[in-house]
Amino acid sequence: MDPKEVLDELKTILVTRLKFDPRRAADMTFETALPKGVEGSIGLDSLDFIELSIAIEERFGIVMDESQDLAEHFQSFDTLCGFIAARTEAA
Amino acid sequence: MARVVVTGVGVVTGAVTGGREQVRAFLASSGAPALRIPGSALLGLVDEGEARRLSRVCQLSVAAARIALADAGLGPDPCPGLGLVIGAEFGDLRSTIEFVNGYLCRGPGGLSALLFPNTVMNTMAATTAIAVAARGLSLTLNAPTVAGELAIARAVAAVRSGRVEAVLAGGVDEIDPFLAELLVEAGATSETRGEGAGFVLLESLDGAHARGARVLGEIAGVAWRALRARPYRVGRGTDSRAIAAALDEAGAAPGDLGRVWISASGDGPRDRWEQALLEASLRPARPPQTALGSRVGRHSGLGALAVAASVLDSSSRGPALVHAIARGGSHVAMVVRSHAAPLSGHPQ
Amino acid sequence: MRRVAVTGLGAVSPFGAGVKAYWNGLSAGVCAIRPVTLVETEGFRCRIAAEVPDGIGGSPRRTRADRFALAAAREALEDAGLSCAERAEAALVVGAVGGGMLEAEVWYWERFRGGGPTSRRAPRSTLPFSHADVLGNVLGLEGPRETLVTACSSGAASLALAADLVADGVVTTAIAGGVDALTRICFMGFNALKLLGPEPCRPFDRDRRGMSIGEGAAFVVLEELEKARARGARIYAALAGHGLTTDAYHVTSPHPDGEGMVRAMKAALERARLAPAAVGYANAHGTATPQNDRIEARAIREVFGAGRLLISSTKSMIGHTMAAAGALEAVATILALVHEVVPPTANLATTDPDVAFDCVPRVAREAAIEYAISNSFGFGGQNVTLLFGRA
Repeated sequence: MDPKEVLDELKTILVTRLKFDPRRAADMTFETALPKGVEGSIGLDSLDFIELSIAIEERFGIVMDESQDLAEHFQSFDTLCGFIAARTEAA
Repeated sequence: MARVVVTGVGVVTGAVTGGREQVRAFLASSGAPALRIPGSALLGLVDEGEARRLSRVCQLSVAAARIALADAGLGPDPCPGLGLVIGAEFGDLRSTIEFVNGYLCRGPGGLSALLFPNTVMNTMAATTAIAVAARGLSLTLNAPTVAGELAIARAVAAVRSGRVEAVLAGGVDEIDPFLAELLVEAGATSETRGEGAGFVLLESLDGAHARGARVLGEIAGVAWRALRARPYRVGRGTDSRAIAAALDEAGAAPGDLGRVWISASGDGPRDRWEQALLEASLRPARPPQTALGSRVGRHSGLGALAVAASVLDSSSRGPALVHAIARGGSHVAMVVRSHAAPLSGHPQ
Repeated sequence: MRRVAVTGLGAVSPFGAGVKAYWNGLSAGVCAIRPVTLVETEGFRCRIAAEVPDGIGGSPRRTRADRFALAAAREALEDAGLSCAERAEAALVVGAVGGGMLEAEVWYWERFRGGGPTSRRAPRSTLPFSHADVLGNVLGLEGPRETLVTACSSGAASLALAADLVADGVVTTAIAGGVDALTRICFMGFNALKLLGPEPCRPFDRDRRGMSIGEGAAFVVLEELEKARARGARIYAALAGHGLTTDAYHVTSPHPDGEGMVRAMKAALERARLAPAAVGYANAHGTATPQNDRIEARAIREVFGAGRLLISSTKSMIGHTMAAAGALEAVATILALVHEVVPPTANLATTDPDVAFDCVPRVAREAAIEYAISNSFGFGGQNVTLLFGRA
C-alpha cells in the first residue's frame, strides 16, 4: 500500500471513528501535525490516539504495543504513514 | 448557616433556550408543547472540538452551564472552587448503545475508546466540569423523575453549610428514539417526556453581595426523602416529611405559598399521588399549580427551570414550592423566594 | 458540625459474602483475580477478573448487583443493630455505575442478534438508581435517598455525602456504600482503553501492566457520634474528614501533576483539622495502570512527604470493583485501624522507583495506626479522599 493510500485510509478513520468533519479531513496533508498543543495540529489528545490505534490495528492488521512509547510515530500523518507502512511490510 | 441565593439561570429545552430574559419571556407566553431541541439551539454554545468529541447530551449540558454562568455575570474561569451537581435519569444511553453495537457488529475491533467514558453516567458532569472549569465537588445524581430537583436541593445543602462557595446545579436528559422504544418494551407508563438541560447558579448571599451579583431569589428551604413504594410503583402514603421540612426550614406556612411547581407529566398514578400528597401536606391551603412538563416535557432539566420560574415569577404573592415525586418514592421539596418586585415586572 | 461514627459494616467481595471473609482474604494477602466466567472474553487481551463466588443468596429474579447490594446493606444494618424506627429515618446513599446492566446486556444481545424486540420484556432494573429503590423498599429506609455516579470513586463519594447529611444534622443515621457487578460494557470498555493487564494487576510494581476488574458491594452505617455513644453502639471508627474535588482536566486521564488528588487529600485533612503527620496509612486508589500509580504516589508525597506513610492497594487482591471500590476500600481502611493490621499489596515484586513509599508488599503488616486515608479517583477527574480515625 503506498503512502497516499494509507493517508486516505487514515482520513476515513478520522471521519468515521474520530468524528471529524469530512471537509476538514479532506484538507489534511502529510505535513499536518496530530497532537494537541502543536501549532497547526488537528488537536488529538490521549484518548483520540487510543481510538486511532484501535482503528489502525483493525484496518491494517497490525498490533500496536502500548507499553512502547509510540508518541514519535503519532507526530504527523507523514510519521504515522511511515510507521504503518514499515509494520505492514514486516508482518 | 449561609443563605443560598440564585444568581444565574441557563436552560436548553424544546421551548426555550437562554438565560433569565428568555425564561421570563417563555413564562409570559403560551404555546404548544415543544419536547425536542432543534439542532440549531447549540450554535455558538459549543466549540468545534466539543462538537466533534462530545455526545449530544453532553453538549446540551455544556451549553446550559455556559448560559447559566454568563447569566450570573461570571466569566469563563468563574471561581476556583466552583461546584457542579447534575441530576440525570437516563444519562448517555445513545452513546452506550452505539458503543455496544460497535462490538456486536464488528467484534473487539469495533469497540470505541472514545465512546466508552460516555457509558458512565457522570460523563455529562465530567465534560461540563472541563468546559466551565468547575474544580470543586462535582456530583451526578441518578434518580427517576426527580433527579434535577434533587441535584439542586443537594447543592443548596452544600452551599448552606459552607462546603462550597458557588455551585452550578441542575440536570440534563435527552430523548432518544431507542430509549422511547425501550421504555415501551419495559412497560413504562405513557408520559410526556421531553429533553433538555437546565442549571441555576447558587451561591451564598454574602458571596453574591461581595462580587456585586444581582440576586434573583433565594432557596430558603430544601428537603428530600423517600416515601414507601415498590420500585417503579407509586405508593399510598401521603405523609410528606419533605414538604414539612422544607417549609419549616424556610420559616413558611402552607398558606404563604404563592404557587406550586409540580412534576405532573401524564403518568396518571404518579400525578394523582403527587396531588394527594400536596393536598394532605398543604391543607387547607390550595396554592395555584403549574406543571412545566406540559410545556417542555418531563426531563431532568426541569428542576432548574422550575427554580428559575420561581425566582422570575413576579406575579406570585408569596414564595413558591418546587415539588417533584418519582415512582419508587423519592421526592423533593424546595421553598423558593423571588427577589423580583411583587406584582410588577420592573427590574430591581 | 456533628461528628460522624462508623457503627456497622457489610461487604460482598470476591472472597465471598461477609466482612469476615473479606478481611480474612485481605489480611492473608490472597489474590482473587481469576479467569472470567460471567461474560465472553474471546478476542480480548485481558481475560481475567475478580468475580464474586456463588453463595451470596437472594432471589434469582433480582439482578446480580441488587443481590450484592442487599446482602452487604443487610449485614451492615444488622451489625449496627438499628431499630426499625431508626431505619425509617435513615438516609440511603448508593454509589453505582453499572446498575443492572449485566442482565440488560443479555436482553440487548438477543434483541440485536434477532433483529428486533425479543419475547422477554426489556429489563427495568438497568439504571443505577434501581439499587437504591430496591434497598429502600426492602429494608424500610425512608430518609433522604440518593444514587451517586462519580465513576470509579462513586463508592467513596457516597460515604462522603452521607457523612455530610449526618454532620449537617439532616439525619442522625445513614447507610452508604457502593455496588457493581461485572458487566460486558465495563470489561469491553477498559479493554478498548488498553488499561487492563493480561495478568493479575500489580499496583506500584515497576513492571505493572494495567488493572484487573472486580465486582462486589460494601455498605457502612454512619451515625452521629454522640447518638451512637448514647445507644451503646459499637464504634468501629470515626469518619473524621473527606475531600471531593474535580480535575476539570480530561475525561479519562488524571491531571499529570495529580493536582486534584492533592486538593482532595488536603481538604480531608483540613476538615478533620489534622496535620499530615497524624496519618499513618493510605489505602491507595492504586489501579496498577502505569499512569495512575505514578501520579498518585507523587500526589501522596506532595501532601504527606516521602517515606513514612504506609500505602497499599486493595485492588491487588480484589481487582477494581468500580462503584463498589471506594466503599470496599473504606471498609478495608476501617478494619486496618480496628485490627491494627495494614493489608498488603499482593503481587508486588519490585516497587517502582517513582513510588517513594513502603507499599507493604505481599504480606500484611502489624501497625497501630491512629488515622488512615482511603483514596478513590474516577474518570472525569473525580477525586475523593476519606479520612478515618481510630475509635
